[in-house]
Amino acid sequence: MKELIKSLCEHIAPPGGERALSNELLEKVRDVAHQTSIDRLGNVIATKNGDGPHVVLMAHADQSGVMIMDIADKGFLRIIGAGNLEPGRLVGCQVVFQNGVKGVVQLEANTKDAEIRFDHLFVDIGKSSKASASELVHIGLSGVIVAPFTELGATRICGGSMDNRVGCAIAITAFRDLAAMNRHVSVVFTAMQTVGARGVGAATFALSPDLAIVVDAGPCDDVPGHDVSSTELGKGPIIQVMDGTAIVSVRIRRHLEESAKKKGIAAQFGVWPKGSADTDAGAIQLTKAGVAVGGVHYPARYVGSTSTVVDVQDAQNAAILIVEAASSYEG
Amino acid sequence: MLLKRLTQAMGPSGFEDEVRGILREEVSPYVDAIYTDVLGTLICEKGRSQPGPCVMLDAHMDEVGLMVVGVENSGLLRFRPLGGVDPRILVAKRVRIGSSKLPGVIGSKPIHLQKPDEQKHPIPEDELFIDIGAKDKEDALANVQLGDVAVFDTLYDTIGDGCVKAKSFDDRVGCYILSEILKKSYAVPLVGAFTVQEEVGLRGATAAAHRIAPDIAIALEATVCFDGPFVPSHSEGTRLHGGPALTVQDGRTVADVRFLRFMMETATKHNIPYQLRRVKGGSNDFAAIQKSREGVVGGAISIPLRYMHAPAQIVSSKDVENAIRLVDAILQEIASGNWVEERFAN
Repeated sequence: MKELIKSLCEHIAPPGGERALSNELLEKVRDVAHQTSIDRLGNVIATKNGDGPHVVLMAHADQSGVMIMDIADKGFLRIIGAGNLEPGRLVGCQVVFQNGVKGVVQLEANTKDAEIRFDHLFVDIGKSSKASASELVHIGLSGVIVAPFTELGATRICGGSMDNRVGCAIAITAFRDLAAMNRHVSVVFTAMQTVGARGVGAATFALSPDLAIVVDAGPCDDVPGHDVSSTELGKGPIIQVMDGTAIVSVRIRRHLEESAKKKGIAAQFGVWPKGSADTDAGAIQLTKAGVAVGGVHYPARYVGSTSTVVDVQDAQNAAILIVEAASSYEG
Repeated sequence: MLLKRLTQAMGPSGFEDEVRGILREEVSPYVDAIYTDVLGTLICEKGRSQPGPCVMLDAHMDEVGLMVVGVENSGLLRFRPLGGVDPRILVAKRVRIGSSKLPGVIGSKPIHLQKPDEQKHPIPEDELFIDIGAKDKEDALANVQLGDVAVFDTLYDTIGDGCVKAKSFDDRVGCYILSEILKKSYAVPLVGAFTVQEEVGLRGATAAAHRIAPDIAIALEATVCFDGPFVPSHSEGTRLHGGPALTVQDGRTVADVRFLRFMMETATKHNIPYQLRRVKGGSNDFAAIQKSREGVVGGAISIPLRYMHAPAQIVSSKDVENAIRLVDAILQEIASGNWVEERFAN
């Protein structure tokens, strides 16, 4: 699992730019799938025909980033956000664009920390004129923060694209296990989730799942400043009760809970108000006449920041939980 | 003149009837089928049985407006905005209310009576009202009903060097461009959708896209332009006379990069000036169409518009002309089989 996550983290995939990651994702599942495709919005889809209700695993492929929206006279780039990065956290960070060009994000002089918006930021790519900068980059080119995959001790890892390459790795692992059990299962690596769950609806429309399980980062609050934590790193996968987009039906949630028990896995519950951990779940649930949806998330610290910390054991247990729940689901 | 008639017509969100009437009359002779859907979107089909990808061209008929929500005993009308109206621009403007186009004035306390503190702040929305000259509530209700809508009372005119001034270029200019395109013929299945209720949340386009199920969609829009001398380049959005603007990212879409490249390449090939829109805020119907069914390829072509959503707006006639040329060139290229997704995939 750790190696899989590491290899997925090597790609730059801001929202709308998921195609840089598509081939690698397809390679990880192609040998066990009956059909694979990339749809019009960039969702990567693999399906294994088999027994039982059609269960679809959904993990978003994109990561939050920035996009160039102007190239100024002295070769400085102006950027807008693409996803959920807070502009104030980007000051001093390095950014790498889709074509490999790197730069440093900095702040206009005389801006107070509390007021930082994207219009106050610029990127220095080492060029001194608009013309020379324009040879390297163009308006509309996206980039992500440079924060490579790093091991923190035996089981914990951090990096800028943990959210949601860890989810992709869990979905790949669970999909392969379910395919080996000859279940009817699909996996979708969804596009443009970080800008507001824009891709997943199209894939859901195409697949008409009997059950969709979303795999995403579940923010945990076991850090200094919180006296009591609701979710903790290393304490097992998080079964979603609700996020800002969907309330999971009690029937699905109970099924996930029982599946965890059956496998002897400790699980936690995720109850997130709007904006704190929005996922693809809502867009799935409201497709066509409605779709049964659940969420199995991995605990992640500092979601929305430039580097996220995850425990690989949580990810492994999330995959086991998903396989059990999907293979015992009767519709 | 079509653009003049369209901008002077009344059509706030949900009340697009007059605009739809003009468009229906204008394009009927040129299309194979023309009908409205249940929300009121006017759909025009042309050459739909031809081979090739079905192209949906979208322009919304509605404009931002005001809705009458109450009448004071004095006969003054209380209102609420319909769509994104900046209350600071409303003071002292002339409006027309309801299908009878009753004239009204948005009243406010004159400067002579304002306290020093009141002069420092914009007048809040709930202290504004529409005055129709009624002597009391009963008199007002003889002419106006709750739920009636109002729009700015602005005449279309040419202004300066190559510009025109009117209300509601957002998005009558898109309707105008779409009408001109529907008068031409292309070897692709084409569906024009003059949509309703864009300003309140892309509602008409959502239903229309589901019905039409296009392969490719282009929204024809008006977009923010604030290219004054005191504005830095990265805050101006677009430049007037800079050509039609293509979107890289807005509030609700990240551009489909392949189709964006195709549009840019087509503009270059046909010698048509264009610009990239340099602002994230705002959105258009393509956001709703893109997510329809199994997903739709496409983008938006926007006309730079100064003073968007205000009573008097300005566009460049050259930009409008170039937008028509660009849509025309794109349809020709698609008809010639030159839109091949993989070719534009990096």
